[in-house]
Amino acid sequence: MATKAYTLPTNVAPETVANIRSLVRIVSLALISAAAISSRLFAVVNFESIIHEFDPWFNYRATKLLAAKGFYEFWNWFDPTAWYPLGRVVGGTIYPGLMATSGVIYNVLHALNLPVDIRNICVLLAPGFSALTAWSTYMFTKELKDESAGLLAAAFIGIVPGYISRSVAGSYDNEAIAIFLLMFTFYCWIKALKTGSAFFGTLAALFYFYMVAAWGGYAFITNMIPLHALALILMGRFSSRLYVAYSSWYAIGTLASMQVPFVGFQPVRTSEHMAALGVFGLLQIIAFAELVRSHVSSKQFQTLLYASVVAMGLVGFFGIVGLTYKGWIAPWTGRFYSLWDTGYAKKYIPIIASVSEHQPTAWPSFFMDLHMLIFLFPAGVIMCFSKLRDEHIFVIIYSVVASYFAGVMVRLMLTLTPVVCVAAAVALSSLLDTYIDPTEPVPEEIEPTEAEATPQDPAKKSKKAAPAGNPTSLGEYFSRFTGNTNKPRGIFGINNRLIVLFNTFGMLVFFVIHCTWVTSNAYSSPSVVLASTGADGNPHIIDDFREAYYWLRQNTPEDAVVMSWWDYGYQIAGMANRTTLVDNNTWNNTHIATVGKAMSSSEEVAYPILKKHDVDYILIIFGGLLGYSGDDINKFLWMVRIAQGVWPDEIQEPNYFTKQGEYRVDDRAPDTMKNSLMYKMSYYRFNELFGGQQAMDRVRGQQMPKQGPTLDYLDEAFTSENWIVRIYQVRKEDILGRDLKIANAFEQGRKRKKTKPPVRRRALA
Amino acid sequence: MLLLPLLTLLALPFCQALISKEQAQAELTKLAAANNGVINVDDHTYELLTLPNREWSSTIIFTAMDPRRKCGPCKSFQPTFDAVAKAWTKVSPEHRNQHFFAYANFEDAMAVFSKVGVQSAPLVYIYPAIEGPHKPASGRTTPLSYDFSGGFDAEPFAQYISRHTPAPIPYSPPVDWMKYATIGATILLATTALRVIAPLLKSRWIWAIGTTLTILTMTGGYMFVRIREMPYSGGDGQWIAGGYQNQFGQETQVVAMIYGLLSAAFLMLTMVAPYQTSPRRQQWQVWLWSGVIFIMFSVLVSLFRVKNRGYPFKLLI
Repeated sequence: MATKAYTLPTNVAPETVANIRSLVRIVSLALISAAAISSRLFAVVNFESIIHEFDPWFNYRATKLLAAKGFYEFWNWFDPTAWYPLGRVVGGTIYPGLMATSGVIYNVLHALNLPVDIRNICVLLAPGFSALTAWSTYMFTKELKDESAGLLAAAFIGIVPGYISRSVAGSYDNEAIAIFLLMFTFYCWIKALKTGSAFFGTLAALFYFYMVAAWGGYAFITNMIPLHALALILMGRFSSRLYVAYSSWYAIGTLASMQVPFVGFQPVRTSEHMAALGVFGLLQIIAFAELVRSHVSSKQFQTLLYASVVAMGLVGFFGIVGLTYKGWIAPWTGRFYSLWDTGYAKKYIPIIASVSEHQPTAWPSFFMDLHMLIFLFPAGVIMCFSKLRDEHIFVIIYSVVASYFAGVMVRLMLTLTPVVCVAAAVALSSLLDTYIDPTEPVPEEIEPTEAEATPQDPAKKSKKAAPAGNPTSLGEYFSRFTGNTNKPRGIFGINNRLIVLFNTFGMLVFFVIHCTWVTSNAYSSPSVVLASTGADGNPHIIDDFREAYYWLRQNTPEDAVVMSWWDYGYQIAGMANRTTLVDNNTWNNTHIATVGKAMSSSEEVAYPILKKHDVDYILIIFGGLLGYSGDDINKFLWMVRIAQGVWPDEIQEPNYFTKQGEYRVDDRAPDTMKNSLMYKMSYYRFNELFGGQQAMDRVRGQQMPKQGPTLDYLDEAFTSENWIVRIYQVRKEDILGRDLKIANAFEQGRKRKKTKPPVRRRALA
Repeated sequence: MLLLPLLTLLALPFCQALISKEQAQAELTKLAAANNGVINVDDHTYELLTLPNREWSSTIIFTAMDPRRKCGPCKSFQPTFDAVAKAWTKVSPEHRNQHFFAYANFEDAMAVFSKVGVQSAPLVYIYPAIEGPHKPASGRTTPLSYDFSGGFDAEPFAQYISRHTPAPIPYSPPVDWMKYATIGATILLATTALRVIAPLLKSRWIWAIGTTLTILTMTGGYMFVRIREMPYSGGDGQWIAGGYQNQFGQETQVVAMIYGLLSAAFLMLTMVAPYQTSPRRQQWQVWLWSGVIFIMFSVLVSLFRVKNRGYPFKLLI
């Protein structure tokens, strides 16, 4: 019996220990869930129970319809008020999983006579599912290492900002439920692979189906699982377990996913799904070859068989390539393709490039979102290498792929976060296991004193200290890493243990503080309501958006058409209930470019466009008074760029810059800029606010020209309290058939001399 | 040979319109043919190219190739322009003589630069035809400038110019033999060396090192630097870029190194220290690696504070 560093009570029955362990596990998981849910409620506590941002407003609107009219009506919903005058077939162009989930919860609660408002269900859906995510991460990590690592992983994913950023209360978006589905599908896959059970394979397929119905990011699973299977085959780890797990997942999952109307026949027609199909075919060939091999003994025949398997694989591969070439299989869509060719989106699909969450990630974002997990992550991956069972290979592939994707797009940080939590939990839990274990090792020999000379440089020390133990050969040194050494392992003395444990505990505390700070400060703003702090420290709520949307709702005819940049389409539809030209479902580039063209052209050019599209009101966001930097003038260049993509001869980006290549709004702004509709609408009557003094744009930090712009074709209809939202009404055509500009000049008593002659001449010619 | 330009030069001050269209076009055709399809712009050729009653269009690049001007973009765009102009010489003569490519260097054509009012280089102007069958449908007579925001690549440039030429420019990118040769050589080398490197490929630690390095570079923000084409470091010895969503190339290296060191420290504590047989040596290691973790983490947090000014926490520094 080895000595102990500290004594444990010995008079406890093993059953009691087991019982207490499971009780502690359950209580811990419950506490983790509570922490996960409550840390996402900052937004509700600080503001109110409200839907956030942009896309959630559409999801909320659709869910309201589903709750009010039932699933059938929702499925066949054609929305004539979006993309005016085209309309949108909503049922066939969305992932209905999110709305269906809320609808089911709503109906269940109402069946139980709990009259919960649909809005509250939508607001609280994301925090609720984050608790489920924590549980599924626990299950997943448990398969990799053990329960204690699982609990750590669950705690990490429960509060890590990288996941909270997309799942605070009110951010009612597809990602809210998708991460749970992602982790649970992966858990089922690992479990199916480990046990070779068709049951878990089918379960993986069912959750995969749920995922397909819920989020476009399902393609990540569609490619991760085949990649894992392929890696296992290449490593010579083909087994009947793999065959059963993969075949059951693929067959059922693909058939199920084709039931989602938005996906349809894509699983057999597009390149994104071809890897899954290819690996499925390869597995069938290999399984057949294995079967034949087990029955045939001749050596030559086996060689032949081997060659034919390779040949068949190649034929299949080239078959797919050929079909793609012939156009039977659609090539990668732009959104996915731009992940590989990173310059692609900017060149060919500026709409995708213009979205802020599609920008590449700088390192501070990684640290902000993952804190200490980001450097525990590689350590955890190395530990996976030292075990290297099938499921560890999965984590390794996942970590490489996801860290690349997260680097390319800020948004995909969300897919990286789970694997970081899992790997970091494996690393940290191995450390804790080692240093908590009370068993004292037996010292073998008396050490020479050379170790006393500590070099200053830690890197040098690492080289020296590592091979300086007993083993002298490299092989022994490696065998130490791989863990198959027979030498006694353990930690001497209580103080060695305490240092490491204290250090780790401190880091965990820091992690919690960091997560709380980030969540409350960075990720809990609804962006529909803004908050600022006054000079006396009191919070100040800026509610311009809702003020303006409710103005629209109450003061305009119900069939009025509102034009705005696409960012605000869903909000106008959701809060003001008015028809919009373009919205956040950016499927029609030309339509968006039309709006961009109207915004970036002069009034005379824009007016016919507005008339053709029956636009009654134009809504813009202006932050110049308050210093709100996410306003339309800052987004203006994207409007110009997108319009330029369709009308390169009429709209040209360089014309909106000064000769020195600066983007300015003051006196030195170029005429094209000053005459553009967006500029005029933003700064119309802005000067009057400042009395006689020179107006100042607080976002751009520039002095505005003394003479503000004038409008001939539009009337100012509404400007919100802090000027963030400005709404203009498009004028009716003049009753006398004059050009509106001339009519305006006439009313102001100006002589027509200036403008009239060219008009008449043109009319005669 | 010299007489004709001389005569035209003499005639210039009197009346521009005296230059007949046909004469000018013939001369431009000759000049273009003599120089790979590119006409060198001086005062005289500029007059010819932009004749007020011209039936042809032209693409003129205003650039500053003199090394003293230190115009990097000019140098990187010039090969593109030359390649597209050369491709234009391959179309049939009746089309070819309706559009001209011309090259205006600042040193040789200062008067033209000031006349056009060029403020920055490179600048590409497309002068549309004013009369004749190739007059643009929009009736536009003022020159159009090419937008460089799409980059300096030849293909989009040729595509854009093709919209203003009588026939599309038959530009095709040159075959990158070097690339194919490199790929071929690599494959050949890999297959021949397969026997040698097979044990390496089968070693899990080779893969572990590769995986870890990939992860570290990616989480260090390497893709940001690549996609945004950020410089390695700032101009004045500054290696930390200001702002939260911004970074230089050197930051990737430093941050990846810090992450790597912290990771290694954890691995040492977990996978090396417990295998020590001597208590004394083990204690040194535990102290050392715990110290490394604490110090490096403090450094990392203070680095983060530089990037994110509002961050309220710090450890040692």
